[in-house]
Amino acid sequence: MRSRLPRTACLLRLIALCILLSHSAAYFGLTGREPLVLLPAPFSNEAPTGKAHLKQCEQMSLTRRQKRLCRREPGLAETLRESVRLSLLECRYQFRNERWNCSMDGRGSLLKRAFKETAFLLAVSSAALTHALAKACSSGRMERCTCDDSPGIQHREAWQWGVCGDNLKYSTKFLKKFLGQKRVSKDMRAQVDIHNINAGIRAVKSGLKTTCKCHGVSGSCAVRTCWKQLPPFHDTGRLLKYRHDTAMRVLSVTNAATGETELAGPHRHSQSLRTTDLVYLEDSPSFCRPSRYSAGTGGRSCAKDTTCQSLCCGRGYNTAMRLTSMSCHCQVRWCCHVECQTCVREEEVYTCKTA
Amino acid sequence: MAGAIIENMSTKKLVIMGVTLLLFQALAFMVGGLIAPSPTTAVHYLATKCVDKIKHQEESKWFMPWGHDQCEKIRTFDEAVAKRIEANNIVFAIHIPMPQKEMSPWFQFMLVILQFDIAFKMYNQIEDGAMASLDVRLAYRDDTVSDWTEMAHSLELRKLSCNFTTTRTFENEGRYYECDLLPFMEIGSVAHKYYLLNIRLPVNERRKVNVGIGEIKDIRLVSIHQNGGFTKVWFAMKTFLTPSILIIMIWYWRRIMLMSRPPVLLEKVILALGISMTFINIPVEWFSIGFNWTWMLLFGDIRQGIFYSMLLSFWIIFCGEHLMDQTERNRFSVYWKQVGPIVFGSFCLFIFDMCERGVQLTNPFYSIWASDVGTELAMAFIIVAGICACLYFLFLCFMVFQVFRNISGKRTSLPAMSKARRLHYEGLIFRFKFLMLVTLTCAAMTVIFFIISQVNEGHWHWGEHTVQVNSAFFTGIYGMWNLYVFAIMFLYAPSHKRYGDERSSGQCITGDAGANSGEDIQLTTTITHVDGPTEIYKLTGKEAHE
Repeated sequence: MRSRLPRTACLLRLIALCILLSHSAAYFGLTGREPLVLLPAPFSNEAPTGKAHLKQCEQMSLTRRQKRLCRREPGLAETLRESVRLSLLECRYQFRNERWNCSMDGRGSLLKRAFKETAFLLAVSSAALTHALAKACSSGRMERCTCDDSPGIQHREAWQWGVCGDNLKYSTKFLKKFLGQKRVSKDMRAQVDIHNINAGIRAVKSGLKTTCKCHGVSGSCAVRTCWKQLPPFHDTGRLLKYRHDTAMRVLSVTNAATGETELAGPHRHSQSLRTTDLVYLEDSPSFCRPSRYSAGTGGRSCAKDTTCQSLCCGRGYNTAMRLTSMSCHCQVRWCCHVECQTCVREEEVYTCKTA
Repeated sequence: MAGAIIENMSTKKLVIMGVTLLLFQALAFMVGGLIAPSPTTAVHYLATKCVDKIKHQEESKWFMPWGHDQCEKIRTFDEAVAKRIEANNIVFAIHIPMPQKEMSPWFQFMLVILQFDIAFKMYNQIEDGAMASLDVRLAYRDDTVSDWTEMAHSLELRKLSCNFTTTRTFENEGRYYECDLLPFMEIGSVAHKYYLLNIRLPVNERRKVNVGIGEIKDIRLVSIHQNGGFTKVWFAMKTFLTPSILIIMIWYWRRIMLMSRPPVLLEKVILALGISMTFINIPVEWFSIGFNWTWMLLFGDIRQGIFYSMLLSFWIIFCGEHLMDQTERNRFSVYWKQVGPIVFGSFCLFIFDMCERGVQLTNPFYSIWASDVGTELAMAFIIVAGICACLYFLFLCFMVFQVFRNISGKRTSLPAMSKARRLHYEGLIFRFKFLMLVTLTCAAMTVIFFIISQVNEGHWHWGEHTVQVNSAFFTGIYGMWNLYVFAIMFLYAPSHKRYGDERSSGQCITGDAGANSGEDIQLTTTITHVDGPTEIYKLTGKEAHE
């Protein structure tokens, strides 16, 4: 347990974060544990002017300010759920071969500490929310997207004149407002969390690809328009996994000049702490045996030559022969129609021993 | 051309004029950089997947992605598999613009680019040369409640050129292909407030329609339109420039008409340059605000094409008329060899433009690049135009080289000439060098700013202000060529000052003519054959030695 109690402001902020994630716990609980069984939430088909989103907002456990934002923006509730789905799927995918497989069982305890895994959870959540917000903007689900932040001019005039920003700028700004990280906290844990959340946003931004189109006279490049394209979330997830693997353990340093506490990397790493890095305070547990953080690796299936060694923590694995049916020689269409033959194959399955 | 204003102006006046033009030039850049927003906006759209539940597809049914009366949606195609929805019942719906916004005629044009998000699947890979065939419908309405009116309906083929950068293994399933942008739609006027696109990807296995196009996850569109603010600044600029060029043009032609001789070729070409500049300047685009003139985009291309070919012809003829060899020119037909490539090249580009934007007048989804034959044809036109451009520049460079060779040849023999003849040649050299300098400066500016606007992010932050580099480029370069034409018409117009000296200078030349009959031809073929040197010219003539 942490000995130092965070100050009230930070406590509130943490609660806000934990609530956001614990809400998602409730949501995942409803939909089951396996990603494949994870059914998408029913798409609201009612007009956004209706009161459907108000009910959705009430169902979620949000802070008062977040509820207000949620009520004001009809598409937000759905986007929040979408982002949770996105982050969970990505987290499970990226950690499928790790001892901690992003299982949500011990997440409550995990979030109380400041492990590498906690850092990843925070970063992937903020990245997914940024991504989902930008996507919701471009599919028209959100009403206040760009043009909202142009000062001095009305929304409509800003659009007509042409000074609206892009969706990603908006979603980053909105996210900061939503999480309420305006004030700089002196509490170290809160600083670490904010750092990781920002690292998640930066991961989305760094994957942006600029694409251009020429449309001058006869299609020449005399007139060219460029725009930034959101990367597929897989790419962002991969980048965050890499950041998780190279995460830095940080110390709190008091800045002599300003008297404020700052995060600093350990001195053996000569490079200073970058905003893109993930940071943590405590070394992770092994996740090998059941604990309050995870269910342990017993019973996990692994690949013989590659992952079994590390995954089973040296306890060894059971080998079993199993007939698996696979689809093969498929006739597929671009959507919704797959006609496959079933091929049966005998496979060796390896599972980690529990004890 | 002893009678041209440029030679008769004192250095001081010339400097004053240069500074004034530079001030206007700076103003043109600032108008674009500080007042106007960026020239265009790109808006992202993610198509909403609607379900068409009716078995026999009703033609009049429109699918709305959001808002009132929206369609039944699915989030992913996994959901469609679970609900047993077929590919033919999926409609991709895009509403332009976003909620709470409306389009405006100030946007001038709208072009839309299509992008597929195709996931890699081991058993459903994109085949080589796969074509997506899209059944697209476009509709508009001007208020949020009335029915949609169909604008266009077409079946379009687009070639998917996608590549998968990582290894094709089960491990990498679900990652996206990297696909090229596909041209989708282009409309030449944005006369309506709301547009709706419905796209279907019908599957027909027997006819191999939409087979082997991979697992499509999403359809994304990017629409590009001109910003209203930029349009307003642009119109204002045109409205201001039109009378300026028109007045100087009338003034210029009146001066020429006042002379006793008929106008020579170079004077006519300068007038033609002025006319083509005015043709570009005339702000007919104002009408596009009130009328739904879709051909405005094509018309703008034609106007620009005419101006460019006129400018190029002007350079050639200007060089030719200053060659200072003993050949009679002063006729347009002499220059057919040099002007021919310009005419042919611009004709090729005109045909190409008609094939692309001309056809788009009837079918906004048409793209010449979509089919293989079209691509080859378009490339052929562009390559021929490119060859013509190269040919032209070879001719131009050769001519400029000839002029400089003749200048250095003349310079050695200058002191031996009679005064009138010497001043005449000095005038020719000065005029040529002046135009050469100004032209090169303008061309260099254009190229430099073009490069800056290409490599740049589009805007610079400069303290409190944001400078829109792209807008500054457009207004600045446009202003610059206007000032160029203005300056040419002003400086190369015949001077009033010659009237007083006409008789004496005429005598000078006649007296001189007997001495050297070979050079006499040259003297009588240039514009200045009746003009003699003037007092002020004698003062400023020293610049020609430079």
